[in-house]
Amino acid sequence: MTAYIIRRILWGLLLLVLVVAVTFLVFYLLPAANPAILRAGRNANPQIIATITKELGLDRPIYTQFWIYVKNIVLHLNFGFSYYYNVPVGSLLLNRLPATISLTVGAAVLWIVIGIPIGIVSAIKRRTWLDRMAMGTALVFVSAPVFWLGLIALLLAAQTIGVFHVFPGIGSYVGLTVNPLKWLESLLLPWMVLSATQCAIYARLVRGSLLQVMGEDYIRTARAKGLTERRVVLKHGMRSAVGPLVTVLGLDIAALLGGAILTESVFDIPGIGRLQLDAIGHSDIPIIQGTVLVASIFIIIANILVDIAYAYLDPRVRFE
Amino acid sequence: MKKAIRRRHFAAAVLAVCIAVAAVTASLALASSHKKTANIAALKPALNGSGENLTNGKRGGVLTEYQSEDFAHLDPGESYFDLDYQVMYATQLPLYEYLPNSESKLEPMLAVGMPVISNHGLTVTVHIKSNVHFSPPVNRAVTSSDVAYAIERSANPNVANPYFQPYFGFIKGAAKATGGPISGIQTPNPTTIVFQLTQPEDALLEGALQMPATMPVPKEFASQYDAQKPTQYGTTYEAFTGPYMLKSDATGKFAGIGYNPGKNAILVRNPSWHVGETPQPAYLDEIDINIGGASQTIGLQVLHGSDSVQNDTPTNANVQLAYTQFYNQLQAVPGAGDHYVALDNVHGPFKNVWLRRAFWAALDRGAMLKIAGGSIVGQVGTHFIYPGNGGFAQAGGLAGPKVAWNLHPNGSLAAAQALMKQGGFKSGKYTGSAVVKVVGANNGNSPEQIAVVKQALTELGFKVSVAEVDQSVMYTKFCGTPKEEIDVCPTVGWIRDFADPQTTLFVPFYGPAITATNNSNWGQVGGPGSGEQALNKAMEQAAVAPASKSNAAWAKVDEMLVNQAVAVPWIFDNQPYIESANVRGINDLWNTGSYDYAYTSLK
Repeated sequence: MTAYIIRRILWGLLLLVLVVAVTFLVFYLLPAANPAILRAGRNANPQIIATITKELGLDRPIYTQFWIYVKNIVLHLNFGFSYYYNVPVGSLLLNRLPATISLTVGAAVLWIVIGIPIGIVSAIKRRTWLDRMAMGTALVFVSAPVFWLGLIALLLAAQTIGVFHVFPGIGSYVGLTVNPLKWLESLLLPWMVLSATQCAIYARLVRGSLLQVMGEDYIRTARAKGLTERRVVLKHGMRSAVGPLVTVLGLDIAALLGGAILTESVFDIPGIGRLQLDAIGHSDIPIIQGTVLVASIFIIIANILVDIAYAYLDPRVRFE
Repeated sequence: MKKAIRRRHFAAAVLAVCIAVAAVTASLALASSHKKTANIAALKPALNGSGENLTNGKRGGVLTEYQSEDFAHLDPGESYFDLDYQVMYATQLPLYEYLPNSESKLEPMLAVGMPVISNHGLTVTVHIKSNVHFSPPVNRAVTSSDVAYAIERSANPNVANPYFQPYFGFIKGAAKATGGPISGIQTPNPTTIVFQLTQPEDALLEGALQMPATMPVPKEFASQYDAQKPTQYGTTYEAFTGPYMLKSDATGKFAGIGYNPGKNAILVRNPSWHVGETPQPAYLDEIDINIGGASQTIGLQVLHGSDSVQNDTPTNANVQLAYTQFYNQLQAVPGAGDHYVALDNVHGPFKNVWLRRAFWAALDRGAMLKIAGGSIVGQVGTHFIYPGNGGFAQAGGLAGPKVAWNLHPNGSLAAAQALMKQGGFKSGKYTGSAVVKVVGANNGNSPEQIAVVKQALTELGFKVSVAEVDQSVMYTKFCGTPKEEIDVCPTVGWIRDFADPQTTLFVPFYGPAITATNNSNWGQVGGPGSGEQALNKAMEQAAVAPASKSNAAWAKVDEMLVNQAVAVPWIFDNQPYIESANVRGINDLWNTGSYDYAYTSLK
């Protein structure tokens, strides 16, 4: 198992290098705007642009620029310098990560706590009005784009512009360490919106997976042994049904940690996703590369963790 | 049977949910569209900030300011953007500053009295206050050497000031300056600074002395940061002289404390500044600037909420909502720049002046304005010096010069065809083989405005190829790169640096100012082969005209620009701003109407 994990980590590192190379090539070969002009600001004259081009090393061959970029990341954890904000990308990423983690973890807890039980109930009460109502509602939420749902939620429930003045409006996010109560208040609505779609997906996933498992022979055997239905479902049924769920959960959380762009933008939460969106708007290449790299790291780590978790959850899985 | 009934119940339940969701959405959309359809053009003008009372505000309180866009530079040596200016002018003292309710009246800030001009306009002397202090950790009194260093460091490539050469390059020794001492800037004593000029550009320098580059910088504190590439002064550390400062620690570091890029900024009172030292009343205790968010939602939040303002352009929907339902919370400030259709004067069909005039006559400028938001956001552009600039009235005011191509704001095909005939096209339509290349921005209302331009061109017989790109790409890769030879750039615009009309006309229309990249003379007006050398000559003469004759000289240049139809102005911009009901917002008329934190208060 140790060899397997080491092998996976090495493959992950190789994948990261490839991601870095591809993003570097894409953004440097096809730049949307001259980075030196971005750094120089509006109406800069050509002399200033030329000076900055030299200072930033943009006049060097692309392979030299790539080598310097990779060397700085590996040796100094230096992700480069934002042309637009004039600050190191690493500090920006660190500054934005807590908001994204807060949003993602809170929403994940919600969608797991709500989505999985709904899926279980739907599977057990298959074809009842409860199942149909749950799956019908799930269908509505699966179909609703997050940005639309977010705006509707704000118009209905934000203290500032909502019909019912319940939750704080946009731009209300404060850090957990600054004011835990306000942190909680500011994230309740974003959590609900972000988890609504996921909740629906997970409910449908659990239902489908559990229905398949509940028809297996070993479930019939468990029932024949006289186990309670609760024990049959939760211990024997869910243990197998949870496998696909873990895969999806790992990737979903990793993808959101890499930037919940829509939710962060609608609720004005200063996280990685909004940083990414702003950077695209400003053609701020170092930030785009940094956020892509962070997202890739999360995805790769999640993949490795999911594979390891699989082994514990499903004894049929073998590493060798 | 039972299953069928259940299915029907399920279907009914799903249908009910869908109808409920659709009803909520539809009612919201209806409410929104109902507000949108109000006919704003026929209503009374919006408030425009011109009657602002700068005194009698209530002291105290925290203002929350929302802006979806971030600052570009918070270093006084680099700032060159209206959002930056808001923070700069609240936290630093330039030598002079326009009062918020004036577009052109300079008020001494750090200076004592107006500049003294001598030696036939070649020497400019300014005396400064002795009781202004830097914020912690510098704490000491500001001297004339701090102003000299502030201007000198602007020439440092690590600072990269974008306007040093045009506005300070005629100081002796400035042309080759790279951040060290400039021989033409002398400080005979701690409260006097003297500028020796190479040519009598005293009028321009007087205007430039209100630019952020004149805000004092303490050399002993800043030079260590200015040595870094790029400078860390203004991005990480800064010493302040104004009534407010970016919240900082004991070392003067504000990055990560008073400013988090793309996230927020916090302005607090500067402990070294005291009421009465400078004209600003500084009513507010704190200004919390929230960066990011969707403009539409921000606007609604500001209009319905309290203690807040929206600092960047509100959406058209919110402007109209504010106008119809929150009239006193909307300011539409004139003098916020102009937009015009740039035409290539050097290459392609528009090298022919008659075709440029014909296109001007054919273009429905009224439709372009209507698309932009109607009379609240501006007036139809009729020439190039826009309202609020010196020389505007002499150049024809709102009606503009009475030439044949300027008489039809809604476009006249008949007038245009008559001009085409004078240009050698007997049918009144273009019969050449050239395909007109049009490049415009793809954001906001631009695509619809491009469509209006395309229609005018098509009616005149031109074959047209249109590219809509990101605004920054439009400027950097196409319209600002002469070798691309773009015939028509319909969505370019210009904002002056200060009330001198030279800052409105010189860079975008002076031939020798054309550069190979990042060019702002998009039509290459006065460039080689344009046949507009008289125009260049007139600008050179206007630049050195005595202050008393400067406006008239630039109005004459404006008249020549219209006669040559070098471009087609289509809007004199107003800039709309919205605020909460309990905010007494004071807008800087000289800075496209941005809120002035040093004068704004809560009710």
